[in-house]
Amino acid sequence: MNTIRHGGEARIHEEISALIPWYVNGSIDEVDRQRVETHLPQCARCRDEVMHERGVYQGMNAELGVEYMPAASLKRLQARLDALSAVAPAEALSGPPAAAPRRGVVTWQGVMAASVAVMAVAVSMLAVERWAQSRTRAAPNYYTVTTSPLRAPHEVIRAVFIPTITLIELQAVLDEAGLRIVAGPTEAGVYSLATNSSRPVNASLALLRGHAKVRFAESIQPSVGPGDAP
Amino acid sequence: MTVLAKNSAKENDHDLLIAVAAGNRRALEELYLGYHRRLTRFLSRFTPRYENVEEIINDTFMVVWQSAKDFRYASRVSTWIIGIAYRTALKSLRRQKHHNAARSLDDCPEQTTDPTFDTEVQDWLRHGLNQLPVEQRLTLELAYHMGHSLQEIAVITACPVGTVKARMFHAREKLRQYLPASSGGAEDMTVKGQ
Repeated sequence: MNTIRHGGEARIHEEISALIPWYVNGSIDEVDRQRVETHLPQCARCRDEVMHERGVYQGMNAELGVEYMPAASLKRLQARLDALSAVAPAEALSGPPAAAPRRGVVTWQGVMAASVAVMAVAVSMLAVERWAQSRTRAAPNYYTVTTSPLRAPHEVIRAVFIPTITLIELQAVLDEAGLRIVAGPTEAGVYSLATNSSRPVNASLALLRGHAKVRFAESIQPSVGPGDAP
Repeated sequence: MTVLAKNSAKENDHDLLIAVAAGNRRALEELYLGYHRRLTRFLSRFTPRYENVEEIINDTFMVVWQSAKDFRYASRVSTWIIGIAYRTALKSLRRQKHHNAARSLDDCPEQTTDPTFDTEVQDWLRHGLNQLPVEQRLTLELAYHMGHSLQEIAVITACPVGTVKARMFHAREKLRQYLPASSGGAEDMTVKGQ
């Protein structure tokens, strides 16, 4: 009789013991949580396990202290997505594969179509080359002091943050200033920021300039007056 | 994280994934930035090399981009994404035949230097975790660091609940073996851990 009772207790102990990690991390469901809490006062081993697992839980949740900035890896992902989207339209343009012609049978319509296709490709290539040449002429490969740098869409402020800023801190600064990143960081670490709220640009700018984590901030609007009134 | 914050994050993930499924790149980037820290920490348990971690994260988000339209919302978005990261990491390890190498790399102190792991308990914990097989180590990570439930871990790792329980059981047993002899047991450790 005692053996049966002890066997039952051992089974319950094992079941409860297996639930302890999820009791400790708080994700256990209500029914199981009540089972654990009913069992704990009767079982010193399980109480000991709960204390032990809480120590492991706390140890594993210690801050790493090192935080990676995801900007560089996000850029690599964007490049992969660009490559993917460049391939997709090309495949779409080529269309579904046509039914294979019978081998050895070449019709005059086929020859004519092939000739037209070759000519079309040649004309397209010539046009692309001319366009590329005109682009090269239009955009010289140098800058002068009067050259205006390209602006990201909706960009109103450019800023440089201290190199040790974490992602969370960066997000907090942007949230506080009502700004969002629209481009960057450049090689020099410059972010292009757009406004995210109705807050005047000069107010966001003043906030950035007063922030300890911001090394540099400038408005790229021609003039920023009080309230940004035109 | 409060229940309210958790629900809000869940809804936000849900909305972002719908946008990703519609081909919205900005939504994918937002999701990426939201998950980068969590995944970096989680994947660091697979391999301490940041280049590998970054590659696995980007592979994961390529899958998210291409498969978002197939997601049926039967589980939380976070469970789905972390499940993809878990399988991508396992595949990456197998492909590079790094399964054992990753463990031996973990054993190299110069590659696992962690400035905050300087207390006795954390040293013990780091050493103990590095001795565990990768599946057991990740089960602990998913439960204790990422806060997933038993059922969620079963979905993430594509294993029955019983397997998750068994992995957790063995992980806990092995970790106990690495308790410092002088610590006097769990009670002492908990006090130090607090």
